[in-house]
Amino acid sequence: MDLPDISVDTGGGRRPRRSSFVQPSVIPGFGLTFGFTLAWLCLIVLLPLSALFLRATGMSWHDFLEVGFSTRALRAYQLSFGASLAAGAVNTVSGLIIAWVLVRYSFPGKRLIGALVDLPFALPTAVAGIALTALYAQNGWIGGLIAPLGVKIAFTRAGVVIALIFIGLPFVVRSVEPVLADVGADVEEAAATLGATPLQTFRRVILPAIGPALLTGFALAFARGVGEYGSVIFIAGNMPYRSEIAPLLIVTQLEQFDYAGATAIASVMLVAAFVVLLFVNLLQRWTRKRGVA
Amino acid sequence: MSLKLANIAKRFGAFTALHDINLRARPGEFLALLGPSGSGKTTLLRIIAGLEFPERGTVYYEGEDITQLSVAERRIGFVFQQYALFKHMTVAENVGFGLSVRPRRERPPRREIKARAQELLDLVQLGDLGRRLPAQLSGGQRQRVALARALAVDPKLLLLDEPFGALDAKVRKELRHWLREFHDRVGLTSIFVTHDQEEALEVADRVVVMSNGAIEQIGTPAEVYDNPVNAFVFDFVGESNCVPVVAADGRATFRGTPVAVDTAGLRGAGDLYFRPHAARIGSEGEAGLPATVALVRPREGRARVEAEIAGLADVIELDVAPDTAPAVGATVTIVPTRARLFPAREPDEAAA
Repeated sequence: MDLPDISVDTGGGRRPRRSSFVQPSVIPGFGLTFGFTLAWLCLIVLLPLSALFLRATGMSWHDFLEVGFSTRALRAYQLSFGASLAAGAVNTVSGLIIAWVLVRYSFPGKRLIGALVDLPFALPTAVAGIALTALYAQNGWIGGLIAPLGVKIAFTRAGVVIALIFIGLPFVVRSVEPVLADVGADVEEAAATLGATPLQTFRRVILPAIGPALLTGFALAFARGVGEYGSVIFIAGNMPYRSEIAPLLIVTQLEQFDYAGATAIASVMLVAAFVVLLFVNLLQRWTRKRGVA
Repeated sequence: MSLKLANIAKRFGAFTALHDINLRARPGEFLALLGPSGSGKTTLLRIIAGLEFPERGTVYYEGEDITQLSVAERRIGFVFQQYALFKHMTVAENVGFGLSVRPRRERPPRREIKARAQELLDLVQLGDLGRRLPAQLSGGQRQRVALARALAVDPKLLLLDEPFGALDAKVRKELRHWLREFHDRVGLTSIFVTHDQEEALEVADRVVVMSNGAIEQIGTPAEVYDNPVNAFVFDFVGESNCVPVVAADGRATFRGTPVAVDTAGLRGAGDLYFRPHAARIGSEGEAGLPATVALVRPREGRARVEAEIAGLADVIELDVAPDTAPAVGATVTIVPTRARLFPAREPDEAAA
């Protein structure tokens, strides 16, 4: 590992750069790494995305609105974003609890549980989809149990949420875990010696410290959910207007060789996802300013 | 305020951390729990605070049994080794935390909490830093914030876990004096844990020397330094030299040479202990410990002589006036002027 050069500014030597674009820093390599970052993002992220928009501009504004904002598409967006938000929210709570258990306690099988958490990362999403469908279908283990209660999960919107919870779980656990470990048991003990109840300790001491990490985990789980395709299509039932997710609608368009239609829907999704992630990022910055220094 | 511990015992699995601790802290006293790591001193402190619970025994606070009370109910001030400040709160918010988490009926209004926090920050001489975050403070300042925070709930008893452990030598020394003076001014009863005997001797009214989960001796700094009850205390509190001797008929001899010491009726193998300043270099022909000078170092108005005795692993250290320091390599006779004799320690015990 290269150690950064430590240069002492004696006043006579290098003057701080005139541009206010970046603060002068003793850590070298900003130009190089920043250049790489921009080039890489352009090549890997921006170029394909602009190709997408370019494609979409091939159609007239009217056609674009017609396809991109058709009732069917709107319903699909609603489901995709709604289910992702719901799954992200559920994962935020359960992921926090799991991270808590993994960080705060030691018990036999801890490593095993740690590995289990990551499994949704590694599993081909189709496998997850098939497994979940088998489990939640009317004749499945869980589906069979709840069917008499009149609750259906597989082939409904609830099924979509279940699938997204499954694939999004690791994001929250892995984002929160290191930050929670950093909070330290002594800080909780300190709060207790000062008379705080466990709830007060959680709300006033722990939550502000891990808030940004929790938001990161939520954003990642949400983003993954919006883009998820493989696991959802098996369990969703894919009924237009009811349980059809936006990525599936895009694939449907592609199968009909309607590339322009697919790109129109994709563009709308992209912009919406970007707006949501930007919002989460701003929220994060805000909590960080108020919260963890 | 009075604190009494009766027959406190604690185990962690197969490891006995504390056995049968009996201790009483007098009102207004500054007590040091001194011992090597693993001696159980921190466990004892945490039991007093309610962060740990004893297997057996009772903790009395103001004559009341508080053994089963939770840490929050005890309202005992505790300063953590790494300070455990709330990183996301300002210094003033940290200090006011204890008041702000009180049940609504007892909670003072916000303005009052602020005023109290400011008052405490003034008390620890950090009055201007209330709006900073803990990360923007130096180690010594954080220590004092932790102290102010612990005092905000008006504890009668203040516990400090290795309060100077994480500070550099100079700050440590300053803070030591400051804390002692602070304790007297505020009029608390304080107990602090340390492994540094110099710290304990300098700050505390009484020192509780612990090892292996038991109390070896309780006494004023002068008592534990000048009249250690056993070899462990002699060795752990202050610098010491140890020479194996044989005692018989009220006389102790080292390889046939008599050594002046009160044998206190001890017979057989014994260890002769003396401090570096309690020995001198004998004149020609005087009876003493034959040694070869290995090193002479200047030391604050004295010269520290390190001498080797043939066949002994540990060097003998003694302090002499600089102008009488022998030359390196010279053969000298060391005459302990004030020594103590203890029964020889078992080899494995001595190694521990």
